[in-house]
Amino acid sequence: MNGLIAKALGFAAILIVATIVVVKKMNIDLSDPINIITVIGAIVIAGLTAGVSAKYISQMKSDTASGELADENWDGIGEYKNELPSGWAYSYLGTMIWALWYWTLGYPVNSFSQIGQWNEEVKAYNKKFESIHKNADKATLTAMGESIFLVQCAPCHGNTGDGLSGKAQDFTAGRLSKEQVLYVIKNGSNQLGYQMGAMPPMMAQGKDAEDIATYIANGMKGEQPAAFAACASCHGPDGTGMNGMAPNLKINDDTLVEHVIKHGKKGIIGRMPAFNDRMTPVQIKALATYIRTLRGE
Amino acid sequence: MFHWLEKNPFFFAVGVFLVISFAGLIEILPNFAEASRPVVGLKPYTVLELAGREVYKKDNCIACHSQLIRPFKAETDRYGQYSLSGEYAYDRPFLWGSKRTGPDLHRVGNYRTTDWHENHMWDPPSVVPGSIMPAYKHMFTNVADIETAYAEAVTVKNVFHTPYGDEFKGTRAAWEAHKPKVLADAKKIAADMKNKDVKEAVEAGKVPEIVALIAYLNRLK
Amino acid sequence: MQSNAALEYDYTVAKLFTYTTILFGFVGMLIGTLIASQLAFPELNYLFGEYGTFSRLRPLHTNIVIFGFTISGVFATFYYFGQRVLKVSMAESKFVMFIGKLHFALYVLLAVGMVISLFLGMSSSKEYAQMEWPLDILTVVVWVLWGVAMFGLIGMRREKALYISLWYYIACFLGVAMLYLFNNMEIPTYFATEGLGSIMHSVSMYSGTNDALVQWWWGHNAVAFVFTVPIVGMIYYFLPKESGQAIYSYKLSLLSFWGLMFVYLWAGSHHLLWSTVPDWMQTMGSVFSIVLILPSWGSAINMLLTMKGEWNQLTDNPLIKFMVLASTFYMLSTLEGPIQAIKSVNAIAHFTDWIPGHVHDGVLGWVSFMIMAGLFHMAPRMFKREIYSKKLMEAQFWLQTTAVVLYFTSMWIAGITQGMMWRAVDEYGNLMYSFIDTVTVLHPYYAIRALAGVLFLTGFVMFAYNMIKTMISSRELTEEPQFKSPMA
Ligand code: HEC
Ligand code: HEC
Ligand code: HEC
Ligand code: HEM
Ligand code: HEM
Ligand SMILES: [Ca+2]
Ligand SMILES: [Ca+2]
Ligand SMILES: [Cu+2]
Repeated sequence: MNGLIAKALGFAAILIVATIVVVKKMNIDLSDPINIITVIGAIVIAGLTAGVSAKYISQMKSDTASGELADENWDGIGEYKNELPSGWAYSYLGTMIWALWYWTLGYPVNSFSQIGQWNEEVKAYNKKFESIHKNADKATLTAMGESIFLVQCAPCHGNTGDGLSGKAQDFTAGRLSKEQVLYVIKNGSNQLGYQMGAMPPMMAQGKDAEDIATYIANGMKGEQPAAFAACASCHGPDGTGMNGMAPNLKINDDTLVEHVIKHGKKGIIGRMPAFNDRMTPVQIKALATYIRTLRGE
Repeated sequence: MFHWLEKNPFFFAVGVFLVISFAGLIEILPNFAEASRPVVGLKPYTVLELAGREVYKKDNCIACHSQLIRPFKAETDRYGQYSLSGEYAYDRPFLWGSKRTGPDLHRVGNYRTTDWHENHMWDPPSVVPGSIMPAYKHMFTNVADIETAYAEAVTVKNVFHTPYGDEFKGTRAAWEAHKPKVLADAKKIAADMKNKDVKEAVEAGKVPEIVALIAYLNRLK
Repeated sequence: MQSNAALEYDYTVAKLFTYTTILFGFVGMLIGTLIASQLAFPELNYLFGEYGTFSRLRPLHTNIVIFGFTISGVFATFYYFGQRVLKVSMAESKFVMFIGKLHFALYVLLAVGMVISLFLGMSSSKEYAQMEWPLDILTVVVWVLWGVAMFGLIGMRREKALYISLWYYIACFLGVAMLYLFNNMEIPTYFATEGLGSIMHSVSMYSGTNDALVQWWWGHNAVAFVFTVPIVGMIYYFLPKESGQAIYSYKLSLLSFWGLMFVYLWAGSHHLLWSTVPDWMQTMGSVFSIVLILPSWGSAINMLLTMKGEWNQLTDNPLIKFMVLASTFYMLSTLEGPIQAIKSVNAIAHFTDWIPGHVHDGVLGWVSFMIMAGLFHMAPRMFKREIYSKKLMEAQFWLQTTAVVLYFTSMWIAGITQGMMWRAVDEYGNLMYSFIDTVTVLHPYYAIRALAGVLFLTGFVMFAYNMIKTMISSRELTEEPQFKSPMA
């Protein structure tokens, strides 16, 4: 092989290998058909351009110009009457025939639907994953929850779940801060879609409210203030929400996370949008499990 | 024949023109017959949203953000339902973009909020560490051009029959009558914001660019 | 009816456009280097307040390099070789001369208006068509003036048959005219109301998917009729002229030209793959993109074969080097483009940095190289001095070649990595990477690209310096060189 062609192909090979190495480093699954076709495409681009152009350039070394000159001449520029290079001519003819075939017989108008393809893709996916994870254990759920959290929730709650200095709920501190509880006591709440419905405002006031809020913000440890009775009728004497009738005030149980994801939540910190139809039940469960681990529960 | 054309520039030019217009006739025109029909329930942009769209165009967010969710599972997982042609019926111009240096925004209104945008547009790395998006602090002081936005609404109503109400007329009086509605919309956005200058400006009857922009971003669903 | 008397060609207008080519080339690439650096080092966004963010500057970069640098280059070369291959001098007609000068004056006005309005953020936001309506009208006027000058010269020609380069320039004129008009149909809102709001603002005639179709019918063919067609025209003149070789094959020229004209227009929808454009149009765009490889490569092969047996010229003459490498980069981008137009590949490539990578092996390795080579060839003949420094030209060649290779390899790797990361799912079937992960991973490649920008820009400054020295202080020539450009 000619030296120039060898060098050109060598460069192309380095480029391809570098690409694959970098991609592999990011844990990319190269058996995904789309990824495979892309890599083949890249090899064709680099290889063919390097090979063919080097072939013609090396003809500058070896061949000589020849042929019959046309009569015309523009500003000293002449023109040979040479025939077409046959490789080029046949390829051209070939692609034209292929395009005609593609258009008329191969894939005529309306024979492909990208939306149909999407439906297939989703169906195949659901079959593959949903069933496997139906009865996942805690470790799996935590890992799964983390991966979803980092993609969907971290832009607000931060990668570590710390709420980015008060821009969203801090999952590393207690379930609720004192200000959050006071805000709800003052304004009531009617957004999470619990069975119990709405919570009325002003269930407690003044020092009572302060005491309750301090108690809840402390994770409901220590002595329960008497005023908490006003809350217990709905949230239960232990504050865990009477089996999902009202929110659990102690921990982020599955029900709470589910309700927040389904309905969003506006509180004193700000508003969280609903992620309603964007999460499957398994994913919600995983998120709840993961969020609890952030506080070591 | 070709050699003859080369000696007759006029016919040469006609020949080139015919050959290059052919594809447009076959590929572009048919879709105009299918004139983009809005999906059911699609509402035209409010004047405040249009003004925000103008901010989006002015600061050229399209350089980094697309508004087109392709039908792949990876994409619908990340951004939501794939985009439909009818959703863009009132988009003049379309803002699909061709580069995602940042994420797609076609449904960003579903999963980001006013206060998040406020933090983010002021200083992106403060909410997304490692972000390379520029901060747009000038939007908190520059005032949006709501009058032009109104003129746009009237224009598309008259020329393209975009369904705006009868009160949208091209007169100054009609604009003055509509203006309080725009300011009221702006107030709703500003209520969820913290920046003092912005709140004051809105109180004083002005609409800072950021307020209009957020109204537009929230509308993207 | 050939006249034997030696003709004195008049290069007044060609010189004027040469100056703007150099000026806009510098400014455009300076901004290009700045925006490349901003993606690697975001603090650079805050140099000029609201006027200096990446997003405000990006359209300035694209518009200045397209409508400033490339189009100036097309005009400069036209006013140079148009006379020569038609065998008429601009000086022979007062009318054509006047039109030429008016053409230049209005062009400068347009360019200034474009730069100012884009800095101010007046933009209709359609890519490569950001200018607002008053400037659109001025663009049309400038374009028509060029047409008048071109057909004016053609009308006076002494050379009966049109040379190949002119085929391409005529096509450039017609193609851009047709596409620009359609894509910029817009209604000024000020006049559609009682004078409400800004007078500059307009709204597009088309909406949504239709608007996208028209935009990319333009966008793709702006590539065709600005970055490809006239540049092919340039190489068909400058390579044989500089080397003294005859064109390899008339038949190949012919088939490539008409093939390119026919096929290019069909491929526009490859910018809209997987969008809401009907599936069959997308398929057409994909299929014709593949066909397009052949007419594109036809011209490149014709040029490489023209240099057959002339290896010594390739090693001796840096101008030939520029042009041979340009053909090679042309082949690279016209194979890369079609492969990216395959639907499965586009699923990854679209929206990623692989596309700007593809763009710049075309615009740097092909467009810029050819324009600079053309101006280098013209300089000794227009200014009647030899080129100031051959050494500087050699150094520039290697510097810029390195820059292009760095640019496209870094963006190639960045784009493929990013595209695949967006799709990646973990063992649980959830997305593996958050968006920001796919941004931070690109930092090293963005830094390499910024370096490539600095190198290419440095090369361009060397080019500008060499040209200016050639214009004012290089050794004078007594006789016009036939082929090879004399250089010190
Ligand atoms: C009438 C029943 C009822 C009573 C009494 C009640 N709550 Fe609630 N509480 C609810 C319901 C129902 C919700 C969920 C409301 C929603 O959907 O937004 C709720 C929500 C809350 C929340 C917000 C949940 C979260 O996750 O942030 C807090 C905090 C709270 N209650 C604290 C209290 C306290 C403290 C008291 C006593 C002072 C109290 N509740 C009394 C029914 C009650
Ligand atoms: C656009 C910002 C944003 C995103 C995205 C977001 N959140 Fe939130 N989230 C918030 C804010 C703000 C709050 C606090 C609301 C309040 O109480 O003031 C919150 C509160 C919550 C709460 C309630 C905590 C409590 O104890 O009351 C849960 C649970 C939660 N988020 C989970 C999630 C999960 C899971 C995701 C991802 C699927 C997510 N969030 C995405 C902004 C966001
Ligand atoms: C230099 C590129 C760049 C420009 C210009 C830019 N952005 Fe961004 N944008 C990003 C990147 C990168 C991200 C992802 C990281 C982040 O969230 O900050 C992003 C994220 C966003 C998000 C969050 C979307 C999500 O799903 O998390 C919004 C909203 C946004 N940008 C709006 C805008 C608007 C509006 C403009 C124009 C005024 C703009 N951006 C200009 C790069 C850019
Ligand atoms: C056979 C010829 C070519 C084909 C089929 C082709 C194809 C493509 C494709 C598929 C894209 C990407 C669209 C996307 O996914 O976003 C693209 C983008 C682009 N190409 Fe090419 N290309 C060709 C040649 C060239 C050449 C020679 C140049 C320049 C000299 C060029 C300049 C561009 C530009 C500027 C873009 C970016 C458009 C945008 O803003 O998105 N192309 N091309
Ligand atoms: C010093 C040299 C240059 C550098 C460093 C440079 C850098 C850049 C950068 C950073 C972008 C934006 C990419 C993105 O959004 O991710 C860009 C876009 C672009 N540049 Fe350049 N550029 C240079 C020269 C040129 C020249 C000479 C031309 C044309 C003749 C050109 C034409 C373009 C085009 C058409 C785009 C838009 C691509 C797209 O939308 O896909 N550039 N350039
Ligand atoms: Ca683009
Ligand atoms: Ca325009
Ligand atoms: Cu294209």
